[in-house]
Amino acid sequence: MSVAEAELAGTSHAPGIAALHPRRRRLSTRLLRSELRIIAGRRRNQAGLLVLAAVPIVMAIAVKMSTPRAGEGPDFLSSITSNGLFVPLAALSVEMAMFLPLAMSMLSGDAIAGEANLGTLRYLLTVPVNRTRLLLVKFASLCIGAVWGIAAVALPGAAIGIALFGTGPLTTLSGSQIGFGAAVWRLVLVILYLAAGLAGLAAVGLFISTLTEVPIAAAIALMVFTILSWILDSVPQLGWLHPWLLVDHWLAFGDLLRDPMAGGEIGRGLLTAAGYAVVFWLAAWARFAGKDITS
Amino acid sequence: MSLFTDHPRTRWAAPAAAVAVIGAVALTANHVASADPSLPSRSAAQLLVDVQQANLKGLSGTVVQTSNLGLPDINLGGSTQGGSSSLTSLVSGTHTWRVWLAGPQQQRLALVGSLGESDVIRNGRDLWVWSSKDKTATHTMLPAEGAKPGAASTTPGQLPKTPQEAAQLALSAIEPTTSVETSGASVVAGQQSYDLVLKPKDTASLVASVRISLDTVHHVPLRVQVFSTKTANPAFEVGFTHVDFAKPAARQFAFNAPPGTKVTQSTLGSDVGGTNGTASRAPGTASEAKPGSAPADTEPKVVGAGWTAVAVANLPKDTAGATKSGAPGGTASEVTGQLQRVLGLLPKATGSWGTGRVLEGTLFTVVITDDGRVAIGAVGPERVYAALASK
Repeated sequence: MSVAEAELAGTSHAPGIAALHPRRRRLSTRLLRSELRIIAGRRRNQAGLLVLAAVPIVMAIAVKMSTPRAGEGPDFLSSITSNGLFVPLAALSVEMAMFLPLAMSMLSGDAIAGEANLGTLRYLLTVPVNRTRLLLVKFASLCIGAVWGIAAVALPGAAIGIALFGTGPLTTLSGSQIGFGAAVWRLVLVILYLAAGLAGLAAVGLFISTLTEVPIAAAIALMVFTILSWILDSVPQLGWLHPWLLVDHWLAFGDLLRDPMAGGEIGRGLLTAAGYAVVFWLAAWARFAGKDITS
Repeated sequence: MSLFTDHPRTRWAAPAAAVAVIGAVALTANHVASADPSLPSRSAAQLLVDVQQANLKGLSGTVVQTSNLGLPDINLGGSTQGGSSSLTSLVSGTHTWRVWLAGPQQQRLALVGSLGESDVIRNGRDLWVWSSKDKTATHTMLPAEGAKPGAASTTPGQLPKTPQEAAQLALSAIEPTTSVETSGASVVAGQQSYDLVLKPKDTASLVASVRISLDTVHHVPLRVQVFSTKTANPAFEVGFTHVDFAKPAARQFAFNAPPGTKVTQSTLGSDVGGTNGTASRAPGTASEAKPGSAPADTEPKVVGAGWTAVAVANLPKDTAGATKSGAPGGTASEVTGQLQRVLGLLPKATGSWGTGRVLEGTLFTVVITDDGRVAIGAVGPERVYAALASK
């Protein structure tokens, strides 16, 4: 690693290098900010966010026009009439299966393979940006993208839900009622928990993105990974495998809506997501740092 | 860093190491539960005395129940994707309960599904059954004298004078059929516990052994495992994965039906079948009949004794009435239709006793004859046929 690279990385691993440069630069967020600007500026990402946001709005309007009976339709749908905050929860439980992983696939497919496809990857690396740092920034932007995507479901959902159905006390899964403030807090926890799950998926996507130069291939591969996980998760004979599947823990967000909250499965879900993130980020690093960048 | 620069392939060691570390941590987390070898050994009688003298203020915890009964997948509760919270879905698979106990008057069980929950809450004389999926609540007023102490295993009134006496009585009652031994200790839910192992003396039984783990400090049963002669893993297991012996807050037991809930007031006559979910039913006590729900003509006849007893009964005309009355999710006729469909899937058997369908589970065998008799026992099919023929 050259001196310039170490300085740019913002960290100095070797003490000798640190001695040469006693005035360390603080961690620059410029690359991350530019990355986020690019993600936010892409037309396809904006269109994706609109689709994500449309689902809770459609659900809320449909429920407003005809009250569903209990036990019918998607989870939480019948609870919407009692509290608007169930709109984002119902939308998240529907979109978490396919739409949100699809959005993550688009983002992570663009991360490395997209740059390579456009031919911008080599320019990015001649800036010069350390490849490890580039991967860290890409992963950080994907994590922010995960929160972004879920917020794109939850915030419009909460807004229209409150507008149409008001802010009554929220009935937990245990049948008790909690106040509006506590309910908002629970919704925030659900958003963060699901974002952590998507971030684990994003690490897989980042790794796949380093394998190819075709972004659509990377996106499809991550979608295949997600669907395969759901299929494996639905086979009861593979019960030993289920705790190791990322998607198996996603629906555990319901544990945050019990009274009192149940932490065990949530903790295991977060650990699984963290494990996926570490393993696949390191795999992406192993692949990317030794790769010849030709485009 | 130069190693990674000169030999890029060595970088793959990093993700491989991460996988190895995660795997190792996961393995040790499962096997770290090695019991403290310095525990003083206790005899079976001493353990039973401990259990009776247990002075439990209350507890809360998570119970996981796993059953591998070898049953066909019967979806009586309708759609059960991803861990159902319906109380009728208990027959197969893995289920998670959350439990709160505070003395004999306050208990709460919550069956946890992926995005749903069913609760059974007892607070004094109020008994509530709540289902989040269909937003229904059933309220029952219990008689002033607690008829069913729920999960607590004390039966006041008929106790012998001292716990020691009771323990001896219990042991001598099962002694002819069962060998009782203590086999060291184990760790359940992070608690050191003694293992009490019951083994049927009659080798014809499908039950190989029953292992009960008792907490060493609070003398509470923390886990019950039933081993079958057919499989190595427990065929039925119910045990705490997390337990806290502090008395839970009173608000855990307060239930007010939330607005928008369909509340059914129930009298005790049509009792709900949800409260007898504990696994502490001692086998061989010849009380296989469901209390209060069996009319006279369906009173079962018991052939044999102890672990190899086979109960033979006549099916009521309305098959559904036998077990699932009052259970949420599915009317009686729906359940009957489902049962008929399931019966059609079972293998046929013929013998001197007639013809019928056989369900061979890992722990028991059920034979339902075409002429409307049902025989069930924790034995292989031959013993059940013999019991049917002896009628």
